[in-house]
Amino acid sequence: MNRIQTGIRTNVSTFLRTPLNVVLALLLPVVVIEGWGQAMAGLPTMPTVEAIPIDLGRLLGAIFGVAIIAGLMGLAQMISARAADRRLVQTGYPPRTLLATRLATLGGVTVVVAAVNYGVLWLTISPEAPVLTFVFLVLAGLVYAFLGALVGALLPRLFEGSLVVVFLAMMDAFLSGDSPLAADIPEFVEYFPLYHPKELLQEAMFQGTYTTGDLGFVAGYLLVLLVLVTVVFGVTMRTSGGWSA
Amino acid sequence: MNRTTTAFSIGIKEQARNYVLVALLVVLPVSFITLAFAVTQDVEMPVRTLVDGETATVMRGMPEVHGVIMTPITSALIAGLAGLFLMREAKDTDGRLAVAGYRAWQVIAARFGVLAAITLIVTGVSVGVMLIDFQPEQLWWFITAMLVVSVTYGLIGMLVGAVLDRLAGMWLMLILPMLDIGLFQDPLFIQSEPDWWMKLFPGYWPVRVMVDTGLTTDVDTALSLVWATGYLLLVAVLAIGIYYRATQAS
Repeated sequence: MNRIQTGIRTNVSTFLRTPLNVVLALLLPVVVIEGWGQAMAGLPTMPTVEAIPIDLGRLLGAIFGVAIIAGLMGLAQMISARAADRRLVQTGYPPRTLLATRLATLGGVTVVVAAVNYGVLWLTISPEAPVLTFVFLVLAGLVYAFLGALVGALLPRLFEGSLVVVFLAMMDAFLSGDSPLAADIPEFVEYFPLYHPKELLQEAMFQGTYTTGDLGFVAGYLLVLLVLVTVVFGVTMRTSGGWSA
Repeated sequence: MNRTTTAFSIGIKEQARNYVLVALLVVLPVSFITLAFAVTQDVEMPVRTLVDGETATVMRGMPEVHGVIMTPITSALIAGLAGLFLMREAKDTDGRLAVAGYRAWQVIAARFGVLAAITLIVTGVSVGVMLIDFQPEQLWWFITAMLVVSVTYGLIGMLVGAVLDRLAGMWLMLILPMLDIGLFQDPLFIQSEPDWWMKLFPGYWPVRVMVDTGLTTDVDTALSLVWATGYLLLVAVLAIGIYYRATQAS
């Protein structure tokens, strides 16, 4: 078994060793999706305010749910094993390999979380393009997973890191999420992490199509985050261990 | 200086030395609450609240209503996460203080003091930012309810920190205040009598007080503040008990 497989297996078993993490990862999407859908649909219709249809509310809840679960997981993944990672680097484990195992684990768990959210959505809404809907939900999760990993690499304390990820996700959900309460949304909101994944998901869910520009933007976003995480992780490991391979 | 004061001042110094944390405790409420006011549509919306002891629907500007909700969400989120991480730290270190001769109540008083200080700062900053855009009709009642909901969430964070690990705790302490205060207690979304299970959430009684004293001139929810304080005391007793057990075990 090579180092990457060993690393991924270790990371996954660490996550699964805490059954409450697994239970919450499965349970929270149901609560968030239904809570979001029901609440958004309850808004009274006024001349310039329109209640969000319950299905769109559920979809927005699913995007937020996937993003926040994956984002905090990315953060915890980078911070919790920082000391151990340094020791591994000192014993000759290449930082790139370490990072690859962390991100691969993160990607795998994000797919599972997205699948759970998709399952909950599927019980109440019939997506026009089921595969695309699932893929775009995964992309929304990956963007936040990598963002969480970046925050974790830059700000290696869970309290501070969680505050940054949580407030970013809340502002993002409010501004990118078609909130019926908001007006005069600034133009820079389209650079927010969830803006384009939300556009993709909404189109795939209700029209069965997607816009290539949105997909390109998300792919670019992921690439930039990946490069940033790799650079920052490399720098933090080099301070004590150095690149060994 | 007695032992409790020593442990408390060390705890405060430890947090204050962390400049990133101090900056975040100020920057996050300022940016989040300011943004909420800036982008909310300036239209009148129906709000269900108590007027002269009777439930009535009044028309209020959406930025004001949104401000009444966004301000406690901000402080409850930060206080909840602070409680969570204080408990996680306590599980690692406070057992050693007990071995060194500290009595349980001294350690508990010091830790809860640190949580209270963080909660006071966050509540102060949140209310201060809110006052730039919106003045509640009954400011001191509003602030009291803000403190009650923030401290309650701080203590719930401690409870969660004792039971769950960091990752699961963070998930819960984000999603709980957001669903509770942001959706289930928001008078914009809940236009009829709330379901019985919504009343079980920590935000129900204090947010009722904040909606009433923030948006109407009379105070009709004094009893709700009593219930909110009762809820807080119950959570405090549970948190102290769990904290005691957690530090004894370590």
